[in-house]
Amino acid sequence: MEVDILELSDRSAKFVLSKVGMAFANGIRRAMVADVPTLAIEYVNLYDNTSVLYDEQLALRLSLIPLVTDLETYMPQAECTVCGGEGCPACELSLTLSSEGPAVVHSGDLISSDPLVQAADANIPIVELKKGQKLVLEAIAHMGYGRDSVKWQAGIACGYKNVPIVSVENCDACGHCAAECPKSIILVEESGAMVPEEDLLKCSLCRLCEKVCDINAIKVSFDENAFVFTMESDGSYTARDLILNASDVVKGKAEGLISILDQL
Amino acid sequence: MGYKCTRCKQKVEIDYEYTGIRCPYCGHRILVKERPTTIKPIKAE
Repeated sequence: MEVDILELSDRSAKFVLSKVGMAFANGIRRAMVADVPTLAIEYVNLYDNTSVLYDEQLALRLSLIPLVTDLETYMPQAECTVCGGEGCPACELSLTLSSEGPAVVHSGDLISSDPLVQAADANIPIVELKKGQKLVLEAIAHMGYGRDSVKWQAGIACGYKNVPIVSVENCDACGHCAAECPKSIILVEESGAMVPEEDLLKCSLCRLCEKVCDINAIKVSFDENAFVFTMESDGSYTARDLILNASDVVKGKAEGLISILDQL
Repeated sequence: MGYKCTRCKQKVEIDYEYTGIRCPYCGHRILVKERPTTIKPIKAE
């Protein structure tokens, strides 16, 4: 397996994963979306809410705020070995919010009991309070999995495509393929059409160039064992940590399978 | 059950045996239920 990082930032990454099968690539994608646990608000104790939003609507908005997650400190409540799932500092934390209008309440107004766990983005609007309106609440956040609810989904916009292969032979340089290409990556020179190596990964494999070529000079195919991966994190993890955690999940599942097979 | 008149802001008790709903102080016919002072737990889903 080879990994070639093309872009890497705190929130997103693009890399080429090669010498693996499609099932493995899809396993990594699914693990990023559904199997990496994150923190999200699960219960809300409302002390006062005179805002225009219903209590339930407010709780839903709060639950969808991504929280920066420390995987080493917290564990999913169902798997908590300290309390057995009843709720303890190892599997839940509380956040409080107290605000009075006129103001727009933002995610940054949530005060966490753990300074390491904060809203990933401080500028997510929750509700607008007019003069005299008040909002006082305590929110309880749990660890959970993206497969159970979207609020625990750390990986967003995770996807991949095969690495494209474009070959040109006996081209008459008519330029029809370059005019048809929606990504504008085909260059026509005197010797014929060609795709620069740095633009090859932009190819969406639409094959429009193939269809307009009257002499079948251009061929588009793809590498079955190489994938261009793009992924974004919601902010609960950095993109790098999310990929590593997803890989650990896949590795853990494979080890679990081996141990089961060994017992047979 | 406590209600509040939206015009005169007085607390009003409603007599359910009487068919009409009306504020006994100002006669206004729009009353709102007051939010209880207890903590309300909600599951965020």
